[in-house]
Amino acid sequence: MGYRSSVEILTEWDIVAARQLGRNEAKEVGFGTVDQARITTAISELARNIYLYAGKGKIEIERISEGGTFGITIIASDEGPGIPDVRKVMQDGFSTSGGLGAGMPGVKRLMDNFKLETVVGEGTVIKATKWIR
Amino acid sequence: MPQEIERQYKEILREYMMRQTEQNLYEGQNFSRQLIQKNIAPDEVISIHKATLEEIYPELPMTVWNSFDLLIEMMIRYGLAHAEHQSLLQQQEELKVEMDLAANVQGTLLKTTVPVVEGLEIGLVSVPARRMNGDYIYFLSDHVNNAGVAVADVIGKGLPAALCMSMIKFGMDGLQDATADPEKVLDVINRIVEKSVNDDMFISMFYGRYNVAESIFTYATAGHEPALFYDAKKGEFSELHAKGLLLGVVAKASYEQHSVKMETGDFVVMMTDGVTECRTEEGFIEPEVVMSLIHSLRHEPAQTIVDNVYKELEKMQNFELRDDFTLVIFKKTS
Amino acid sequence: MNIQLISKEEENIVKAIIGGEIDAFTAPMLREKLETVQHMADLHAELEMSEVSYMDSTGLGVIVAFFKNVNANNGHVKLTGLSPRLKRLFDITGLGEIMDIETDDKGGSES
Repeated sequence: MGYRSSVEILTEWDIVAARQLGRNEAKEVGFGTVDQARITTAISELARNIYLYAGKGKIEIERISEGGTFGITIIASDEGPGIPDVRKVMQDGFSTSGGLGAGMPGVKRLMDNFKLETVVGEGTVIKATKWIR
Repeated sequence: MPQEIERQYKEILREYMMRQTEQNLYEGQNFSRQLIQKNIAPDEVISIHKATLEEIYPELPMTVWNSFDLLIEMMIRYGLAHAEHQSLLQQQEELKVEMDLAANVQGTLLKTTVPVVEGLEIGLVSVPARRMNGDYIYFLSDHVNNAGVAVADVIGKGLPAALCMSMIKFGMDGLQDATADPEKVLDVINRIVEKSVNDDMFISMFYGRYNVAESIFTYATAGHEPALFYDAKKGEFSELHAKGLLLGVVAKASYEQHSVKMETGDFVVMMTDGVTECRTEEGFIEPEVVMSLIHSLRHEPAQTIVDNVYKELEKMQNFELRDDFTLVIFKKTS
Repeated sequence: MNIQLISKEEENIVKAIIGGEIDAFTAPMLREKLETVQHMADLHAELEMSEVSYMDSTGLGVIVAFFKNVNANNGHVKLTGLSPRLKRLFDITGLGEIMDIETDDKGGSES
Protein backbone atom coordinates (compact mmCIF):
# COMPACT_ATOMS: atom_id res chain seq x y z
CA MET A 1 0.00 0.00 0.00
CA GLY A 2 1.36 3.38 -1.00
CA TYR A 3 1.50 6.54 1.02
CA ARG A 4 -1.95 7.32 2.43
CA SER A 5 -3.34 10.48 3.96
CA SER A 6 -6.86 11.30 4.98
CA VAL A 7 -9.36 13.94 6.05
CA GLU A 8 -12.44 13.41 8.21
CA ILE A 9 -15.53 14.96 6.67
CA LEU A 10 -17.91 16.47 9.19
CA THR A 11 -18.39 20.13 8.29
CA GLU A 12 -18.45 21.97 4.99
CA TRP A 13 -14.98 23.32 5.75
CA ASP A 14 -13.67 19.77 5.71
CA ILE A 15 -14.55 19.60 2.04
CA VAL A 16 -12.06 22.40 1.42
CA ALA A 17 -9.45 20.58 3.51
CA ALA A 18 -9.99 17.42 1.48
CA ARG A 19 -9.59 19.40 -1.75
CA GLN A 20 -6.35 20.91 -0.50
CA LEU A 21 -5.00 17.52 0.46
CA GLY A 22 -5.98 16.09 -2.89
CA ARG A 23 -4.39 18.88 -4.87
CA ASN A 24 -1.16 18.66 -2.88
CA GLU A 25 -0.95 14.91 -3.29
CA ALA A 26 -1.71 15.13 -7.00
CA LYS A 27 1.04 17.71 -7.42
CA GLU A 28 3.52 15.57 -5.46
CA VAL A 29 2.72 12.50 -7.57
CA GLY A 30 3.39 14.57 -10.68
CA PHE A 31 0.02 15.34 -12.26
CA GLY A 32 -0.26 18.42 -14.51
CA THR A 33 -2.38 21.45 -13.64
CA VAL A 34 -5.53 20.35 -15.38
CA ASP A 35 -5.45 16.86 -13.89
CA GLN A 36 -4.76 18.31 -10.46
CA ALA A 37 -7.90 20.37 -10.90
CA ARG A 38 -9.89 17.34 -12.04
CA ILE A 39 -8.80 15.17 -9.15
CA THR A 40 -9.63 18.00 -6.79
CA THR A 41 -13.07 18.39 -8.35
CA ALA A 42 -13.74 14.68 -7.99
CA ILE A 43 -12.74 14.79 -4.32
CA SER A 44 -14.93 17.85 -3.87
CA GLU A 45 -17.91 16.01 -5.32
CA LEU A 46 -17.38 12.90 -3.21
CA ALA A 47 -16.74 14.85 0.00
CA ARG A 48 -19.81 16.95 -0.62
CA ASN A 49 -21.95 13.86 -0.99
CA ILE A 50 -20.67 12.55 2.33
CA TYR A 51 -21.39 15.89 3.96
CA LEU A 52 -24.90 16.20 2.48
CA TYR A 53 -26.18 12.63 2.71
CA ALA A 54 -24.12 10.70 5.25
CA GLY A 55 -23.33 13.52 7.64
CA LYS A 56 -19.97 12.04 8.49
CA GLY A 57 -17.26 10.16 6.64
CA LYS A 58 -13.68 10.12 5.42
CA ILE A 59 -11.70 10.95 2.30
CA GLU A 60 -8.44 9.04 1.91
CA ILE A 61 -5.85 9.72 -0.78
CA GLU A 62 -3.43 6.97 -1.68
CA ARG A 63 -0.41 7.27 -3.97
CA ILE A 64 -0.14 4.30 -6.29
CA SER A 65 2.26 2.96 -8.88
CA GLU A 66 2.25 0.14 -11.36
CA GLY A 67 4.86 -0.83 -13.94
CA GLY A 68 6.54 2.55 -13.90
CA THR A 69 3.30 4.60 -14.01
CA PHE A 70 2.17 6.69 -11.11
CA GLY A 71 -1.28 7.66 -9.97
CA ILE A 72 -3.68 8.41 -7.17
CA THR A 73 -6.64 6.64 -5.61
CA ILE A 74 -9.39 8.49 -3.81
CA ILE A 75 -11.31 6.47 -1.23
CA ALA A 76 -14.52 8.10 -0.02
CA SER A 77 -16.19 6.18 2.79
CA ASP A 78 -19.05 6.76 5.19
CA GLU A 79 -21.42 4.92 7.51
CA GLY A 80 -24.42 6.72 6.20
CA PRO A 81 -27.77 5.46 4.86
CA GLY A 82 -26.27 3.83 1.80
CA ILE A 83 -27.62 4.20 -1.73
CA PRO A 84 -30.86 2.27 -2.39
CA ASP A 85 -30.92 2.60 -6.17
CA VAL A 86 -27.36 2.65 -7.49
CA ARG A 87 -28.39 2.44 -11.13
CA LYS A 88 -30.44 5.58 -10.84
CA VAL A 89 -27.61 7.45 -9.15
CA MET A 90 -25.23 6.46 -11.94
CA GLN A 91 -27.52 7.78 -14.66
CA ASP A 92 -27.04 11.07 -16.43
CA GLY A 93 -29.74 13.58 -15.73
CA PHE A 94 -30.56 12.19 -12.27
CA SER A 95 -31.98 14.89 -10.06
CA THR A 96 -29.03 15.69 -7.81
CA SER A 97 -26.86 16.50 -10.79
CA GLY A 98 -29.70 17.09 -13.26
CA GLY A 99 -28.02 18.73 -16.21
CA LEU A 100 -25.28 20.27 -14.10
CA GLY A 101 -22.94 17.48 -15.02
CA ALA A 102 -21.90 16.57 -11.50
CA GLY A 103 -22.86 13.64 -9.31
CA MET A 104 -21.47 10.13 -9.72
CA PRO A 105 -21.44 10.23 -13.52
CA GLY A 106 -19.32 13.39 -13.25
CA VAL A 107 -16.80 11.75 -10.91
CA LYS A 108 -16.62 8.80 -13.29
CA ARG A 109 -15.79 11.15 -16.16
CA LEU A 110 -13.09 12.96 -14.20
CA MET A 111 -11.24 9.83 -13.12
CA ASP A 112 -9.95 6.74 -14.92
CA ASN A 113 -11.49 4.01 -12.77
CA PHE A 114 -14.51 4.07 -10.52
CA LYS A 115 -15.87 1.51 -8.07
CA LEU A 116 -18.84 1.87 -5.76
CA GLU A 117 -19.93 -0.42 -2.93
CA THR A 118 -22.91 0.34 -0.77
CA VAL A 119 -25.11 -1.40 1.78
CA VAL A 120 -28.41 0.22 2.69
CA GLY A 121 -28.36 1.11 6.38
CA GLU A 122 -24.63 0.54 6.69
CA GLY A 123 -22.77 2.92 4.41
CA THR A 124 -20.91 3.50 1.19
CA VAL A 125 -17.35 3.17 -0.09
CA ILE A 126 -16.28 4.72 -3.37
CA LYS A 127 -12.84 4.21 -4.91
CA ALA A 128 -11.69 6.27 -7.87
CA THR A 129 -8.28 6.11 -9.53
CA LYS A 130 -6.41 8.33 -11.92
CA TRP A 131 -3.11 7.65 -13.65
CA ILE A 132 -0.57 10.05 -15.09
CA ARG A 133 -0.84 9.83 -18.84
CA MET B 1 -4.77 16.21 -25.58
CA PRO B 2 -3.15 14.91 -28.79
CA GLN B 3 0.03 16.79 -29.75
CA GLU B 4 -1.36 17.74 -33.13
CA ILE B 5 -4.35 19.49 -31.62
CA GLU B 6 -2.10 21.38 -29.21
CA ARG B 7 0.11 22.49 -32.07
CA GLN B 8 -2.81 23.67 -34.17
CA TYR B 9 -4.34 25.63 -31.33
CA LYS B 10 -1.00 27.32 -30.65
CA GLU B 11 -0.77 28.28 -34.31
CA ILE B 12 -4.24 29.79 -34.37
CA LEU B 13 -3.64 31.69 -31.13
CA ARG B 14 -0.29 33.05 -32.31
CA GLU B 15 -1.85 34.21 -35.58
CA TYR B 16 -4.64 35.95 -33.77
CA MET B 17 -2.31 37.65 -31.30
CA MET B 18 -0.39 39.05 -34.26
CA ARG B 19 -3.15 40.03 -36.65
CA GLN B 20 -6.53 39.92 -34.89
CA THR B 21 -8.48 39.57 -38.09
CA GLU B 22 -11.97 38.28 -38.57
CA GLN B 23 -10.41 35.54 -40.68
CA ASN B 24 -8.47 34.33 -37.64
CA LEU B 25 -11.61 34.23 -35.55
CA TYR B 26 -13.42 32.30 -38.24
CA GLU B 27 -10.61 29.75 -38.34
CA GLY B 28 -10.69 29.57 -34.58
CA GLN B 29 -14.37 28.77 -34.53
CA ASN B 30 -14.02 26.14 -37.20
CA PHE B 31 -11.29 24.59 -35.14
CA SER B 32 -13.41 24.62 -32.01
CA ARG B 33 -15.93 22.47 -33.86
CA GLN B 34 -13.19 19.87 -34.22
CA LEU B 35 -12.33 20.16 -30.56
CA ILE B 36 -15.93 19.53 -29.57
CA GLN B 37 -16.17 16.57 -31.90
CA LYS B 38 -13.03 15.09 -30.38
CA ASN B 39 -14.48 15.66 -26.90
CA ILE B 40 -11.71 18.00 -25.82
CA ALA B 41 -12.93 19.49 -22.54
CA PRO B 42 -13.03 23.27 -22.07
CA ASP B 43 -10.59 23.12 -19.20
CA GLU B 44 -8.07 21.44 -21.48
CA VAL B 45 -8.45 24.20 -24.06
CA ILE B 46 -7.79 26.85 -21.45
CA SER B 47 -4.77 24.92 -20.22
CA ILE B 48 -3.30 24.97 -23.72
CA HIS B 49 -4.15 28.62 -24.01
CA LYS B 50 -2.33 29.36 -20.79
CA ALA B 51 0.69 27.27 -21.81
CA THR B 52 0.93 29.03 -25.17
CA LEU B 53 0.75 32.44 -23.52
CA GLU B 54 3.49 31.38 -21.13
CA GLU B 55 5.63 30.55 -24.14
CA ILE B 56 4.99 33.75 -26.04
CA TYR B 57 4.84 36.16 -23.12
CA PRO B 58 6.80 34.65 -20.25
CA GLU B 59 7.20 38.08 -18.67
CA LEU B 60 3.50 38.47 -17.90
CA PRO B 61 2.80 38.92 -14.18
CA MET B 62 1.99 35.96 -11.91
CA THR B 63 -1.51 37.32 -11.42
CA VAL B 64 -2.34 36.54 -15.04
CA TRP B 65 -1.33 32.86 -14.67
CA ASN B 66 -3.21 32.61 -11.39
CA SER B 67 -6.34 33.97 -12.98
CA PHE B 68 -6.11 31.23 -15.59
CA ASP B 69 -5.93 28.61 -12.87
CA LEU B 70 -9.22 29.87 -11.50
CA LEU B 71 -10.73 29.83 -14.95
CA ILE B 72 -9.64 26.23 -15.50
CA GLU B 73 -11.23 25.24 -12.21
CA MET B 74 -14.51 26.86 -13.24
CA MET B 75 -14.52 25.33 -16.70
CA ILE B 76 -14.26 21.78 -15.40
CA ARG B 77 -17.92 21.82 -14.46
CA TYR B 78 -18.94 23.24 -17.78
CA GLY B 79 -17.10 20.37 -19.37
CA LEU B 80 -18.96 17.86 -17.20
CA ALA B 81 -22.30 19.46 -17.99
CA HIS B 82 -21.56 19.29 -21.70
CA ALA B 83 -20.53 15.64 -21.48
CA GLU B 84 -23.73 14.82 -19.63
CA HIS B 85 -25.74 16.66 -22.22
CA GLN B 86 -24.14 14.68 -25.05
CA SER B 87 -24.84 11.46 -23.23
CA LEU B 88 -28.49 12.40 -22.72
CA LEU B 89 -28.88 13.26 -26.39
CA GLN B 90 -27.60 9.83 -27.26
CA GLN B 91 -30.05 8.21 -24.86
CA GLN B 92 -32.85 10.22 -26.37
CA GLU B 93 -31.97 8.92 -29.82
CA GLU B 94 -32.09 5.37 -28.55
CA LEU B 95 -35.45 5.97 -26.93
CA LYS B 96 -36.81 7.33 -30.19
CA VAL B 97 -35.84 4.15 -31.94
CA GLU B 98 -37.61 2.09 -29.31
CA MET B 99 -40.69 4.24 -29.55
CA ASP B 100 -40.79 3.85 -33.30
CA LEU B 101 -40.67 0.13 -32.81
CA ALA B 102 -43.42 0.22 -30.22
CA ALA B 103 -45.57 2.41 -32.43
CA ASN B 104 -45.15 -0.05 -35.27
CA VAL B 105 -46.12 -2.95 -33.07
CA GLN B 106 -49.12 -1.00 -31.89
CA GLY B 107 -50.17 -0.26 -35.43
CA THR B 108 -49.97 -3.88 -36.45
CA LEU B 109 -51.51 -5.33 -33.31
CA LEU B 110 -54.44 -3.00 -33.14
CA LYS B 111 -55.34 -2.91 -36.82
CA THR B 112 -59.02 -3.09 -37.58
CA THR B 113 -60.87 -3.22 -40.88
CA VAL B 114 -63.60 -0.79 -41.78
CA PRO B 115 -66.73 -2.85 -42.47
CA VAL B 116 -68.59 -2.58 -45.75
CA VAL B 117 -72.35 -2.98 -45.49
CA GLU B 118 -75.23 -1.96 -47.70
CA GLY B 119 -76.28 1.66 -47.52
CA LEU B 120 -73.75 2.77 -44.93
CA GLU B 121 -70.71 4.96 -45.46
CA ILE B 122 -68.04 4.94 -42.78
CA GLY B 123 -65.45 7.69 -42.45
CA LEU B 124 -62.60 7.51 -40.00
CA VAL B 125 -59.64 9.58 -38.90
CA SER B 126 -57.44 8.94 -35.88
CA VAL B 127 -54.27 10.93 -35.31
CA PRO B 128 -52.07 10.56 -32.24
CA ALA B 129 -50.77 13.70 -30.53
CA ARG B 130 -47.42 12.02 -29.97
CA ARG B 131 -45.91 8.75 -31.08
CA MET B 132 -48.38 6.36 -29.48
CA ASN B 133 -52.10 6.73 -29.98
CA GLY B 134 -54.21 6.74 -26.82
CA ASP B 135 -57.42 6.54 -28.82
CA TYR B 136 -58.61 3.23 -30.07
CA ILE B 137 -61.12 2.20 -32.74
CA TYR B 138 -62.36 -1.34 -33.20
CA PHE B 139 -64.88 -2.45 -35.77
CA LEU B 140 -67.08 -5.48 -35.31
CA SER B 141 -69.19 -6.58 -38.24
CA ASP B 142 -70.79 -9.59 -39.92
CA HIS B 143 -70.43 -7.69 -43.20
CA VAL B 144 -74.10 -8.18 -44.02
CA ASN B 145 -76.46 -6.81 -41.45
CA ASN B 146 -74.50 -5.36 -38.57
CA ALA B 147 -71.68 -2.85 -38.38
CA GLY B 148 -70.46 -1.99 -34.91
CA VAL B 149 -67.75 0.37 -33.78
CA ALA B 150 -66.02 0.84 -30.45
CA VAL B 151 -64.38 4.22 -29.93
CA ALA B 152 -62.23 4.29 -26.83
CA ASP B 153 -60.02 6.86 -25.19
CA VAL B 154 -57.48 5.60 -22.71
CA ILE B 155 -57.07 8.12 -19.94
CA GLY B 156 -53.40 8.84 -19.73
CA LYS B 157 -51.02 9.06 -22.65
CA GLY B 158 -48.15 7.30 -24.26
CA LEU B 159 -46.79 3.86 -23.65
CA PRO B 160 -48.89 2.68 -20.66
CA ALA B 161 -52.07 3.83 -22.39
CA ALA B 162 -51.22 1.89 -25.50
CA LEU B 163 -50.59 -1.28 -23.53
CA CYS B 164 -53.96 -0.75 -21.90
CA MET B 165 -55.55 -0.86 -25.33
CA SER B 166 -54.41 -4.37 -26.02
CA MET B 167 -56.80 -5.36 -23.29
CA ILE B 168 -59.71 -3.85 -25.15
CA LYS B 169 -58.64 -5.51 -28.34
CA PHE B 170 -58.43 -8.94 -26.82
CA GLY B 171 -61.72 -8.38 -25.04
CA MET B 172 -63.40 -7.40 -28.29
CA ASP B 173 -61.73 -10.26 -30.14
CA GLY B 174 -63.18 -12.62 -27.56
CA LEU B 175 -66.68 -11.28 -28.17
CA GLN B 176 -66.77 -11.76 -31.93
CA ASP B 177 -70.50 -11.15 -32.01
CA ALA B 178 -71.58 -8.38 -34.33
CA THR B 179 -75.12 -8.58 -33.01
CA ALA B 180 -74.06 -8.10 -29.37
CA ASP B 181 -75.84 -5.32 -27.56
CA PRO B 182 -73.72 -2.26 -26.78
CA GLU B 183 -74.49 -2.43 -23.08
CA LYS B 184 -73.21 -5.99 -22.95
CA VAL B 185 -70.07 -5.13 -24.87
CA LEU B 186 -69.24 -2.38 -22.38
CA ASP B 187 -69.92 -4.66 -19.46
CA VAL B 188 -67.49 -7.27 -20.75
CA ILE B 189 -64.73 -4.77 -21.39
CA ASN B 190 -65.30 -3.08 -18.04
CA ARG B 191 -64.73 -6.29 -16.14
CA ILE B 192 -61.45 -6.97 -17.94
CA VAL B 193 -60.19 -3.44 -17.47
CA GLU B 194 -61.17 -3.13 -13.83
CA LYS B 195 -59.25 -6.25 -12.95
CA SER B 196 -56.09 -5.53 -14.86
CA VAL B 197 -55.42 -1.87 -14.87
CA ASN B 198 -53.58 0.57 -12.56
CA ASP B 199 -55.51 2.66 -10.10
CA ASP B 200 -55.16 5.81 -12.15
CA MET B 201 -55.81 4.38 -15.60
CA PHE B 202 -59.32 4.46 -16.98
CA ILE B 203 -60.95 4.10 -20.31
CA SER B 204 -63.87 5.95 -21.76
CA MET B 205 -65.64 4.00 -24.47
CA PHE B 206 -68.56 4.38 -26.81
CA TYR B 207 -70.03 1.39 -28.59
CA GLY B 208 -72.53 1.73 -31.40
CA ARG B 209 -74.08 -0.81 -33.72
CA TYR B 210 -75.91 -0.12 -36.96
CA ASN B 211 -78.46 -2.66 -38.06
CA VAL B 212 -78.93 -2.54 -41.84
CA ALA B 213 -82.30 -4.27 -42.10
CA GLU B 214 -83.98 -1.95 -39.63
CA SER B 215 -81.82 1.13 -40.20
CA ILE B 216 -81.41 1.46 -36.47
CA PHE B 217 -78.33 2.66 -34.65
CA THR B 218 -78.07 1.31 -31.10
CA TYR B 219 -75.54 2.68 -28.65
CA ALA B 220 -74.24 2.81 -25.10
CA THR B 221 -71.45 4.78 -23.53
CA ALA B 222 -69.03 4.42 -20.64
CA GLY B 223 -68.05 7.94 -19.63
CA HIS B 224 -67.29 8.90 -23.21
CA GLU B 225 -67.92 12.08 -25.21
CA PRO B 226 -71.54 11.98 -26.40
CA ALA B 227 -71.90 11.17 -30.07
CA LEU B 228 -73.70 13.60 -32.34
CA PHE B 229 -76.66 12.70 -34.47
CA TYR B 230 -77.40 14.70 -37.60
CA ASP B 231 -80.99 14.66 -38.75
CA ALA B 232 -80.88 15.45 -42.49
CA LYS B 233 -84.57 16.31 -42.80
CA LYS B 234 -84.54 18.78 -39.92
CA GLY B 235 -81.00 19.92 -40.67
CA GLU B 236 -80.18 19.71 -36.96
CA PHE B 237 -77.61 18.15 -34.65
CA SER B 238 -78.49 16.52 -31.36
CA GLU B 239 -76.39 14.78 -28.73
CA LEU B 240 -76.81 11.04 -28.26
CA HIS B 241 -76.83 10.79 -24.50
CA ALA B 242 -76.59 7.65 -22.46
CA LYS B 243 -75.58 7.25 -18.86
CA GLY B 244 -72.62 5.08 -18.03
CA LEU B 245 -69.53 5.24 -15.83
CA LEU B 246 -65.95 5.17 -17.15
CA LEU B 247 -64.55 1.68 -17.58
CA GLY B 248 -62.31 0.41 -14.83
CA VAL B 249 -63.69 2.37 -11.90
CA VAL B 250 -66.06 -0.19 -10.40
CA ALA B 251 -66.22 -3.91 -11.07
CA LYS B 252 -69.94 -4.05 -11.73
CA ALA B 253 -71.54 -1.20 -13.63
CA SER B 254 -74.60 -0.87 -15.79
CA TYR B 255 -74.91 1.07 -18.98
CA GLU B 256 -77.96 2.77 -20.47
CA GLN B 257 -78.68 1.70 -24.02
CA HIS B 258 -80.63 3.73 -26.60
CA SER B 259 -81.49 3.51 -30.25
CA VAL B 260 -82.16 5.99 -33.00
CA LYS B 261 -83.69 5.42 -36.42
CA MET B 262 -81.59 6.61 -39.34
CA GLU B 263 -83.01 8.01 -42.59
CA THR B 264 -81.10 8.60 -45.78
CA GLY B 265 -78.65 11.42 -45.34
CA ASP B 266 -78.57 11.09 -41.54
CA PHE B 267 -75.29 10.46 -39.85
CA VAL B 268 -73.76 9.69 -36.47
CA VAL B 269 -70.55 11.45 -35.44
CA MET B 270 -68.42 9.71 -32.85
CA MET B 271 -65.28 11.25 -31.40
CA THR B 272 -62.85 11.41 -28.53
CA ASP B 273 -62.11 14.46 -26.42
CA GLY B 274 -59.19 15.29 -28.67
CA VAL B 275 -61.87 16.82 -30.89
CA THR B 276 -63.92 18.60 -28.26
CA GLU B 277 -60.91 19.91 -26.36
CA CYS B 278 -59.32 21.68 -29.32
CA ARG B 279 -57.81 24.95 -28.22
CA THR B 280 -56.44 28.05 -29.82
CA GLU B 281 -54.71 30.97 -28.07
CA GLU B 282 -58.09 32.51 -27.45
CA GLY B 283 -59.54 29.48 -25.74
CA PHE B 284 -61.50 26.37 -26.50
CA ILE B 285 -62.97 25.85 -29.96
CA GLU B 286 -66.70 25.76 -29.25
CA PRO B 287 -68.71 22.68 -30.24
CA GLU B 288 -70.86 24.91 -32.47
CA VAL B 289 -67.78 25.56 -34.59
CA VAL B 290 -67.21 21.86 -35.11
CA MET B 291 -70.89 21.29 -35.82
CA SER B 292 -71.17 24.05 -38.38
CA LEU B 293 -68.02 22.70 -40.03
CA ILE B 294 -69.58 19.26 -40.35
CA HIS B 295 -72.87 20.81 -41.47
CA SER B 296 -71.17 22.60 -44.34
CA LEU B 297 -69.81 19.23 -45.52
CA ARG B 298 -73.01 17.25 -44.98
CA HIS B 299 -73.47 16.23 -48.60
CA GLU B 300 -69.98 14.82 -48.93
CA PRO B 301 -69.02 11.18 -48.47
CA ALA B 302 -68.29 10.23 -44.86
CA GLN B 303 -64.53 9.95 -45.35
CA THR B 304 -64.36 13.39 -46.99
CA ILE B 305 -66.21 14.91 -44.07
CA VAL B 306 -63.86 13.51 -41.44
CA ASP B 307 -60.73 14.34 -43.45
CA ASN B 308 -61.80 17.94 -43.91
CA VAL B 309 -62.90 18.44 -40.33
CA TYR B 310 -59.52 17.16 -39.19
CA LYS B 311 -57.62 19.42 -41.56
CA GLU B 312 -59.61 22.48 -40.50
CA LEU B 313 -59.21 21.86 -36.78
CA GLU B 314 -55.55 21.07 -37.22
CA LYS B 315 -55.09 24.40 -38.99
CA MET B 316 -57.00 26.27 -36.31
CA GLN B 317 -54.65 24.84 -33.70
CA ASN B 318 -51.56 25.83 -35.65
CA PHE B 319 -50.79 22.24 -36.59
CA GLU B 320 -50.28 21.23 -32.99
CA LEU B 321 -52.38 18.53 -31.40
CA ARG B 322 -52.90 18.64 -27.66
CA ASP B 323 -54.56 15.27 -27.49
CA ASP B 324 -55.11 12.26 -29.75
CA PHE B 325 -57.77 13.15 -32.32
CA THR B 326 -60.34 10.58 -33.35
CA LEU B 327 -63.45 11.09 -35.45
CA VAL B 328 -65.73 8.41 -36.91
CA ILE B 329 -68.84 8.99 -39.00
CA PHE B 330 -71.55 6.47 -39.90
CA LYS B 331 -73.60 7.93 -42.72
CA LYS B 332 -76.75 6.35 -44.14
CA THR B 333 -76.67 6.75 -47.88
CA SER B 334 -79.62 4.62 -48.94
CA MET C 1 -50.32 23.92 -11.13
CA ASN C 2 -50.16 24.60 -7.45
CA ILE C 3 -51.63 22.71 -4.53
CA GLN C 4 -51.96 23.62 -0.88
CA LEU C 5 -52.87 21.01 1.71
CA ILE C 6 -54.59 22.14 4.88
CA SER C 7 -55.19 19.38 7.38
CA LYS C 8 -56.79 19.03 10.78
CA GLU C 9 -55.44 15.66 11.72
CA GLU C 10 -57.39 15.28 14.96
CA GLU C 11 -60.63 15.64 13.05
CA ASN C 12 -59.47 13.62 10.02
CA ILE C 13 -60.13 16.57 7.74
CA VAL C 14 -57.98 17.52 4.79
CA LYS C 15 -58.63 20.35 2.36
CA ALA C 16 -56.59 20.58 -0.81
CA ILE C 17 -56.72 23.88 -2.64
CA ILE C 18 -55.72 23.26 -6.23
CA GLY C 19 -55.05 25.86 -8.90
CA GLY C 20 -53.68 26.18 -12.39
CA GLU C 21 -53.65 23.55 -15.11
CA ILE C 22 -53.73 19.84 -14.40
CA ASP C 23 -52.36 17.90 -17.34
CA ALA C 24 -49.93 15.14 -18.16
CA PHE C 25 -47.06 17.31 -16.90
CA THR C 26 -48.47 18.49 -13.62
CA ALA C 27 -50.72 15.55 -12.70
CA PRO C 28 -47.86 13.49 -11.19
CA MET C 29 -47.18 16.32 -8.75
CA LEU C 30 -50.83 16.36 -7.74
CA ARG C 31 -50.85 12.60 -7.31
CA GLU C 32 -47.77 12.69 -5.08
CA LYS C 33 -49.34 15.28 -2.83
CA LEU C 34 -52.65 13.42 -2.58
CA GLU C 35 -50.90 10.15 -1.92
CA THR C 36 -49.53 11.59 1.31
CA VAL C 37 -53.02 11.67 2.83
CA GLN C 38 -55.07 9.04 1.05
CA HIS C 39 -54.18 6.24 3.46
CA MET C 40 -55.69 8.00 6.51
CA ALA C 41 -58.69 6.13 7.87
CA ASP C 42 -62.14 7.77 7.85
CA LEU C 43 -60.77 10.78 6.02
CA HIS C 44 -62.99 13.72 5.06
CA ALA C 45 -61.24 15.20 2.05
CA GLU C 46 -62.24 18.27 0.12
CA LEU C 47 -60.64 19.19 -3.20
CA GLU C 48 -61.22 22.89 -3.76
CA MET C 49 -60.87 23.50 -7.48
CA SER C 50 -62.22 26.95 -8.28
CA GLU C 51 -58.76 28.11 -9.37
CA VAL C 52 -58.26 25.19 -11.72
CA SER C 53 -58.27 26.64 -15.22
CA TYR C 54 -57.91 23.39 -17.12
CA MET C 55 -57.92 19.70 -16.43
CA ASP C 56 -57.55 16.86 -18.89
CA SER C 57 -58.00 13.14 -18.57
CA THR C 58 -54.70 12.61 -16.73
CA GLY C 59 -55.89 14.94 -13.97
CA LEU C 60 -59.17 13.05 -13.92
CA GLY C 61 -57.25 9.81 -13.45
CA VAL C 62 -55.41 11.20 -10.44
CA ILE C 63 -58.62 12.39 -8.79
CA VAL C 64 -60.42 9.10 -9.39
CA ALA C 65 -57.48 7.13 -7.99
CA PHE C 66 -57.56 9.37 -4.90
CA PHE C 67 -61.31 8.85 -4.64
CA LYS C 68 -60.98 5.08 -4.84
CA ASN C 69 -58.25 4.97 -2.22
CA VAL C 70 -60.00 7.26 0.25
CA ASN C 71 -63.22 5.26 -0.09
CA ALA C 72 -61.32 2.03 0.47
CA ASN C 73 -60.24 3.47 3.84
CA ASN C 74 -63.81 4.41 4.74
CA GLY C 75 -63.31 8.04 3.89
CA HIS C 76 -65.23 10.55 1.80
CA VAL C 77 -64.16 12.90 -0.98
CA LYS C 78 -65.93 16.11 -1.90
CA LEU C 79 -65.10 18.27 -4.90
CA THR C 80 -65.92 21.97 -4.72
CA GLY C 81 -65.67 24.99 -6.97
CA LEU C 82 -65.86 23.11 -10.27
CA SER C 83 -66.28 25.35 -13.29
CA PRO C 84 -69.07 24.43 -15.74
CA ARG C 85 -66.50 22.92 -18.10
CA LEU C 86 -65.01 20.73 -15.38
CA LYS C 87 -68.46 19.77 -14.15
CA ARG C 88 -69.31 18.63 -17.67
CA LEU C 89 -66.24 16.44 -17.73
CA PHE C 90 -67.33 14.73 -14.52
CA ASP C 91 -70.91 14.39 -15.81
CA ILE C 92 -69.93 12.83 -19.12
CA THR C 93 -67.66 10.32 -17.48
CA GLY C 94 -70.41 9.31 -15.08
CA LEU C 95 -68.20 10.27 -12.16
CA GLY C 96 -70.62 13.05 -11.29
CA GLU C 97 -73.04 10.34 -10.20
CA ILE C 98 -70.69 8.55 -7.85
CA MET C 99 -68.74 11.49 -6.47
CA ASP C 100 -69.83 14.32 -4.20
CA ILE C 101 -69.59 17.46 -6.29
CA GLU C 102 -70.45 21.08 -5.53
CA THR C 103 -70.38 23.50 -8.43
CA ASP C 104 -69.24 27.12 -8.63
CA ASP C 105 -72.75 28.52 -8.58
CA LYS C 106 -74.62 28.55 -5.31
CA GLY C 107 -76.29 25.27 -4.66
CA GLY C 108 -76.16 22.20 -2.57
CA SER C 109 -73.95 19.23 -3.25
CA GLU C 110 -74.96 16.55 -5.69
CA SER C 111 -74.31 13.00 -4.76
